[in-house]
Amino acid sequence: MNLKEYISSGIIESYVLGISTDAEREEFEQMCQQHPEVEQARTQFEIALENQLQLDAVAPPIQIKQQVLAALNSIDSVNTSEAKEKGQTPVRRLSAWKLLAAACLILLAGVAFWAVTLNNKYQQETAANASLKDQLAQASTEVAELRLTAQTLQNPALKNVSMQGTQMSPGSFANIYWDSTSKDVYLLVNNMPKPASDKQYQLWAIIDGKPVDLGVIDEKVWDKKLLVQMKNVQNAQAFAITLEPEGGSPAPRGSMYVMGKL
Amino acid sequence: MNVKTTYEEQELVQLLKQKDEQAFSYLYDNYSAALYGVVKQIVTDAELGNDVLQEVFISIWRKIESYDPTKGRLFTWMLNVARNAAIDKTRSKGYQQHLHHQPLLDDDNMMHVAVRPGVDDYGLKKVIYKLKDEQRMLIDLSYYQGFTHEQIAKALSIPLGTVKTRIRSALIQLRTLLS
Repeated sequence: MNLKEYISSGIIESYVLGISTDAEREEFEQMCQQHPEVEQARTQFEIALENQLQLDAVAPPIQIKQQVLAALNSIDSVNTSEAKEKGQTPVRRLSAWKLLAAACLILLAGVAFWAVTLNNKYQQETAANASLKDQLAQASTEVAELRLTAQTLQNPALKNVSMQGTQMSPGSFANIYWDSTSKDVYLLVNNMPKPASDKQYQLWAIIDGKPVDLGVIDEKVWDKKLLVQMKNVQNAQAFAITLEPEGGSPAPRGSMYVMGKL
Repeated sequence: MNVKTTYEEQELVQLLKQKDEQAFSYLYDNYSAALYGVVKQIVTDAELGNDVLQEVFISIWRKIESYDPTKGRLFTWMLNVARNAAIDKTRSKGYQQHLHHQPLLDDDNMMHVAVRPGVDDYGLKKVIYKLKDEQRMLIDLSYYQGFTHEQIAKALSIPLGTVKTRIRSALIQLRTLLS
């Protein structure tokens, strides 16, 4: 095929209109480079086609130009090179990008809400946990005290002295448990009026008619109703409790509330 | 529409590659109507046609780097961008649903679409309709519907060689009709 035949074979129109095959396209581009006549003929047809299509022109709605320019500004503010690589339409890309951003925001809000909720719950749980720990420690102490009380009371060497209320306080009642082996003294206050804040009860052992100090009674006794250990005594005929100024007295001065003989 | 000669084509391409918005605005003003005419020949729905034109100019802005002047004029390049975008749109799922079309690759349907008479045909299409029926159909399928020669040969049960020959002879006539 000579050049003239090639030019008039329809390849130029096919190429320009974009309906030639890949092989034809490659061949035609080579021919254009090698033969200026081919390129010239191509340009001629391109101009003829353009003129025809300019005659066929239909004015698009005015707003499209504004939409295009607005879209371009959005594209430029997004990543242009990335948009180029993807080969999707920018309109779709943009809305996808917006959607993604919106989705991220919603997700972020969700996560933030979740984190705050979780943190609140964590703090509540921590407080509850601390409170439970306190309660457990308190309960453990009480259990230990109760166990001590129980053990003490099971001791066969223990001697019990019931102290009855005096005329001063007929309703009062307390017990002494005295270990004849170890000489330990335990007191259980069953019922006695709570002393004023500047007063304290004091326990005495009566040995040969003389009172011996066995210590002041802690206020906690009234809350716990437990056995409390007092000072040791080697021997005693009787026990008594008097109301003394806070801190106790070297010898009993106040009124006697309860008394009992061994 | 008169093409203003404010820019030489070479100068215009260079400015477009530098993302010059003024040059782009000039490009739109001078070529949008011609490209819109082409798009509307392929995408008949007005709203979708508008979408395509918008996509076409955004593509031109984004892909101007890939335009090679040794392979053809700027307008030819833009024309192919527009034609491809329009054909893509007709093949999109949304378009098919929009027009309640059967898939275009269906053989019978291809025939039906290709030979439809057009009262609203004008311009290049009018020129094409001056061709013989068999040639017109092939140009329509190939250019306006974007089918490959192989697809057309298979759908119309014509040998591939015959399809090529008829298209070529149609194109030669087209050239005569245009000049």
